[in-house]
Amino acid sequence: MKTRLFKVVGGLAGLALVAAGCAGEDSGSGGKDGEYRVLVLGGISAEGPLADNANTSVLSAKAGVELVNASGGIDGRTVKLEVLDDQADPTVAVTKLREAIAKGKPDLVLNSGPSTVADATLPILKQNNILSFNIGPTATSADPKANPLNFDLSASAQNQLDAFPPYFEEKGYAKVGILHGSSSYGEVYGAAAEKTFDGAGVDVVANEEYDVAALDMTAQLEAIRSKNPDVLVLDAYGAPLGYVLKGIEKLGWDVPIIGNTSVAATSLISTEPPSGVLGTPATKNLVMQVYTSTAAETSAPEVADLVARMKEIDDIPSTLIVAYNNDALALVQAAADEADSTDPKKLAEALLDTGVQQEAVTAVLGTYRFSADSHAANPGPEEFAFIAPGPLQDGQFH
Amino acid sequence: MTLIWGGLSLGAIYAIVAIGYNIVFISSKTFNFAHAQLTMVGAFVAYTGLVTWDLPVLVVVLMAAAAVAVIAAIEERIAIRPVGDMHNILVTTLGASILLDGIAQLTWGTQPLTVPFFAGDEAFTLLGGRAYPVELFLIAMAVLIVVALGIYSRRSLTGLALLGMAEDREAALLRGVNVRRMAFMAFVAAGALAGFVGMFVGSKTFAVSTLGAALALKGFVVLAIGGFGSMPGTLVGGTLVGLAEAYASRYLGGEYANLAVFLILITILMVRPAGLFVRTKERVV
Repeated sequence: MKTRLFKVVGGLAGLALVAAGCAGEDSGSGGKDGEYRVLVLGGISAEGPLADNANTSVLSAKAGVELVNASGGIDGRTVKLEVLDDQADPTVAVTKLREAIAKGKPDLVLNSGPSTVADATLPILKQNNILSFNIGPTATSADPKANPLNFDLSASAQNQLDAFPPYFEEKGYAKVGILHGSSSYGEVYGAAAEKTFDGAGVDVVANEEYDVAALDMTAQLEAIRSKNPDVLVLDAYGAPLGYVLKGIEKLGWDVPIIGNTSVAATSLISTEPPSGVLGTPATKNLVMQVYTSTAAETSAPEVADLVARMKEIDDIPSTLIVAYNNDALALVQAAADEADSTDPKKLAEALLDTGVQQEAVTAVLGTYRFSADSHAANPGPEEFAFIAPGPLQDGQFH
Repeated sequence: MTLIWGGLSLGAIYAIVAIGYNIVFISSKTFNFAHAQLTMVGAFVAYTGLVTWDLPVLVVVLMAAAAVAVIAAIEERIAIRPVGDMHNILVTTLGASILLDGIAQLTWGTQPLTVPFFAGDEAFTLLGGRAYPVELFLIAMAVLIVVALGIYSRRSLTGLALLGMAEDREAALLRGVNVRRMAFMAFVAAGALAGFVGMFVGSKTFAVSTLGAALALKGFVVLAIGGFGSMPGTLVGGTLVGLAEAYASRYLGGEYANLAVFLILITILMVRPAGLFVRTKERVV
């Protein structure tokens, strides 16, 4: 009796395993000929700039879906987009993602939120073998060993810094002062900047830090000024940027300033007085580093097309620097054409093909340069521009 | 000298926040941890009045003082009065500060907003150092507020009643002082002061939703250095903290600014546990 019971239970377990194995072969709920389901996570109802960025990301995904579907879909499958508002909160993101997967596994997940959301959701995506693209990088998000089906879309601080030495050379800057914040990004940026500039033969005469909660940076600026640099490289976002600009003006220091992408993301410098400082003496020596795609003057025709497609759907609330989702869909379409499949593993493999990356009609970055060693975007210096502050219009600086 | 002007003006802002803490402390022996947030709201109201609505400066100053006084009154009714125990009040006012931070973010966003200063935003040279007009105004205002409050507390009946409450609440009650009403009025007055100074603080720091958090801790440090309840102590404490921050940032690096401030605080508290201007009282037990 006991032996029969074991045989029945064993048989059922075997059937369950076979069924599970078969289910694992399926690349998504849509099947080979069904819709290609894309899930976009974004903090739509988060506060301030986070919500603006999330809305821009979602808008770019919608624009990308329209373009991909108009050109035959992904491996012939029509793309269906579903938006999940995670409030930029990892707990909410995990709950909603699990609910969505339980209803039917998506083929692709586009994570538009900060690193904290990526950190929380990547293990779930890995567990379910879902292809994903991510804007907020984490320590392991671009590591193919840790997350073989995930790709990071944003440029690293190192990518941004690599674009500085050619600009220094062009302008004749030989001595550089660095001022950075005390946030984790600011500290990494400060250290990486010094190393990169040193490596490029540029003399770093000062590298000063400020507390991001401080209300005055004149002391640090005075310390840097005493070393007489040719140019000041600045990492600042929000109110600290205003304090730095006020400090420089107060000192009467006539020095060229190069702000990083955080500087470009602060609305204070893209807004005219009385609310902002655009066009005032505070910004007369300032240039900021941006993607060429976010500068109206330097952007490619693909960017103008993206802007037009996004505007047809809705207003663009923040810069195109977060419009990566359009590019993610273009990349997946090109990868599916190459792989002749929508299997996530085959797509991930195809995405490493430089031909696929060049074939994809991307706009935010010209080419993403994913590699077998790193699934992080690795844009070259040509993807960046140094421009004077200007008003932000339709996601671009004018 | 530029460093000194910068340090003194920053110290003046901390001192002004500490004065607000003190007004509440003297009247009710408790702390309003949301006072720095009230100053932040004052800066935002000033921005709305000056930039969005383009109102005259005097109207905006009065509007900011009145608006923040009302918010302070609501806070007193919700976060202070229903709570009997002083330790619990620390928690409820902290809650009020978080609430105000959130409301400010939702209403005005998270980006810094410029609050124009009525005397101009051009830096000039004074005694060999560079300063903005608003920085000198803040220094003068902190001194004037302390002097005015000193005179008021000694020459007016209300001021004397408040001092009496600070000495012995029960004795003041027995002498006919409406302690509860006085504490409420002091709370509202501290709110009005926060609204009034918000416009000038915002001219130096921008109106930004992180301002309250940035000012709260330093204001408390200034209070501890000067002594709880001492108005002149706020000026000395503010000066020490402002200059320590400026000089540590200049000669040691920005990462040492907070370290220097807390080193001074610990040293002073070891030598004078009640602060520089308050004597430790003996109690019969």
